[in-house]
Amino acid sequence: MTTTRWYFASVVALFAAMAVVSLSACGAESDPGDDGAATAEPYRIGAVLSLSGTYAGLGEPEKNTIEMEVERINDAGGVHGRPIEVIIVDDATDAETAVAVTTRLIEQDQVIALIGATGTGATMAMRQEVDRAGIPQVSIAGGTVITADFHPLVFQTAWSNSLVVPFTLRYLEEQGVQKVALIADSGGFGADGVAVIKDLIGATSLELVAEESFNPGDTDMTAQLTKIKTSGAEAVLMWNAGREAATVAKNMAALDLGIQLVGSHGNARLEFIEGAGPAAEDFVFAAGKVLVPEAYAPGSDEQVVATDFIERYTERYGVAPDTFAGHAYDGLYLVVEAMKRLPEEFTAEELRDEIESTNGFVGIGGVFTFSPTDHNGLSDDDLVMYRVSGGVWTLEK
Amino acid sequence: MGGTELLQFVLAGLKNGSIYALVALGFTLIYAATGVINFAQGEFYMLGGMLSVWAYADLGLPLPLAGLVGVMATAAVGGVFELGAIRQRKDGDPLALIVITVGGSMVLSSMARHLFGPNERPLPLFSGGGSVSVFGAVLEVQTIWILGLTALAVVGLWYLYNRTGLGRAMRACAVNRDAARIVGIDTRLMVTVSFLLAAALGALAGLAVTPLTQTAFDVGPTVGIKGFAAAILGGLGNPIAAVVGGLVLGMLESVSIAFISSTYKDAIALIVLLGVLFVRPQGILGRSRREKV
Repeated sequence: MTTTRWYFASVVALFAAMAVVSLSACGAESDPGDDGAATAEPYRIGAVLSLSGTYAGLGEPEKNTIEMEVERINDAGGVHGRPIEVIIVDDATDAETAVAVTTRLIEQDQVIALIGATGTGATMAMRQEVDRAGIPQVSIAGGTVITADFHPLVFQTAWSNSLVVPFTLRYLEEQGVQKVALIADSGGFGADGVAVIKDLIGATSLELVAEESFNPGDTDMTAQLTKIKTSGAEAVLMWNAGREAATVAKNMAALDLGIQLVGSHGNARLEFIEGAGPAAEDFVFAAGKVLVPEAYAPGSDEQVVATDFIERYTERYGVAPDTFAGHAYDGLYLVVEAMKRLPEEFTAEELRDEIESTNGFVGIGGVFTFSPTDHNGLSDDDLVMYRVSGGVWTLEK
Repeated sequence: MGGTELLQFVLAGLKNGSIYALVALGFTLIYAATGVINFAQGEFYMLGGMLSVWAYADLGLPLPLAGLVGVMATAAVGGVFELGAIRQRKDGDPLALIVITVGGSMVLSSMARHLFGPNERPLPLFSGGGSVSVFGAVLEVQTIWILGLTALAVVGLWYLYNRTGLGRAMRACAVNRDAARIVGIDTRLMVTVSFLLAAALGALAGLAVTPLTQTAFDVGPTVGIKGFAAAILGGLGNPIAAVVGGLVLGMLESVSIAFISSTYKDAIALIVLLGVLFVRPQGILGRSRREKV
């Protein structure tokens, strides 16, 4: 047998194996929610989360939050005296899998609404199924495209890039920065952010002097940062939601660039601070107020809701909730509150209309007010700038 | 672009390249012994970092000992994988073995996901932070560790292959398994040894890189693919070729970023890889294995 034929055979074998595995992954985790005290027929909601794959670190707090809150809602008597059941399925951070599990939730479990997905790619892939079934979807991912590419059935709880980018650019302007270098991952969140930044930067006083990218899983960004070093940039703007952010911060420190690194809400994770260590010091990024509860106006409804959630979550899971937990909380309650406002029997269309009429819902990510043209419902007021100082998040004035 | 920047790009290329080289060495060792591409090689890289973090952070061992535990434990996993999965396929059908390694890689990463959680985990730098200046370019101390460990691994392998009976037996196996068996070499044992070594090499790479990048259950496949590309580029079955392949691949990426665009660095590296294979299907340093009738 010649070596050529042999390589061919191995490649075919590999793809065959991949196909088998991805098919079997469709039958992944299914978690029948807590049936609670009430015995009536439950309201079934589906949640598509990334419990494995790249976004597993985001999916876990989301799952924790939903399980905790479903228990709480059912202990308090459920909705119209009936319990709610949230069926959580894993999309393995894969768009194809997300479609498959969504189909199953719709056809087999007959869910009345969908929460998710964790990622932007999976959220968009689910759209065809959502559209076919005509049920509302509340995504907890951050891509601008989710609500910019408008669909009447699709809502979004995470701060979209079209909200965070202008907020961050304004911060840079206020700092007196003129020349900005951009570094982003080539994946969904990074690419989405880059598109928005390039779209909006023309209207600011900022000038984009370098644009670099890296791939998820890359181990070193020294080469990209060396290019940025020669570009004369006064600040580096990074758009990335993965662990590569810590590598960028460390490489920057090693190269001694000596300019400000500004990130995004994708870096609002403790793992970033742990991973980057001393290089995380003075890292600045915009995110919602949940990271430092003092950011909420004292005595406000927002502060009461957030403090209560943070306390219960911390007690149950031993760690403070992150922003992703907050997005899941908002997704669940936007649906549940709308259901409570409706009579016991309602159609999917009525549920959609009721979610759209949400006005001033106080969640963790901010105060949501949807309209027929705005399905993200958040504003600049829900964002603050953070600075990493002494290894913890602090409010940047 | 000044000379200092150019040197910085070269250093970046060498750093990534030596990581790819260590992973490529693992591919090459197992290919030589079994004729199989081990698609679980990237998982050995993941385990090396992950088990070291576990020994350091969860068991509280000092860093050098934790690193040793990480590498040894991964080598043991490699050995067990061979005994429990590869060896069970009695006829040694390469196609079946490849599918087994693909399955094994998924089992290993899922297990790591369940044992160590979904989040990335850090490891401290081997000898604190800091960097040295090389003609104005910055060389991180950890990068010196990576380059040094790669060099050490290559020298160690060379010694093993050329100066020890075990190494000669492994080479005999690679050249002709049946003949090796006839002269009394335990070819089964050689396969197990090559899995042990390949796992240890992958783990060494994972251990050296984790202080810079952190590690997580899903880091294996990306690095595995790069290592595989490096092994093919250099020429499968030859340790020196694996190192050359790794360094060439790392430099290609770095040069692409410097002169073209970081967006296309992987695509450019892949195109060059295809180009090389078109002219030299056996890789840069590979020997043609076409059999004459």
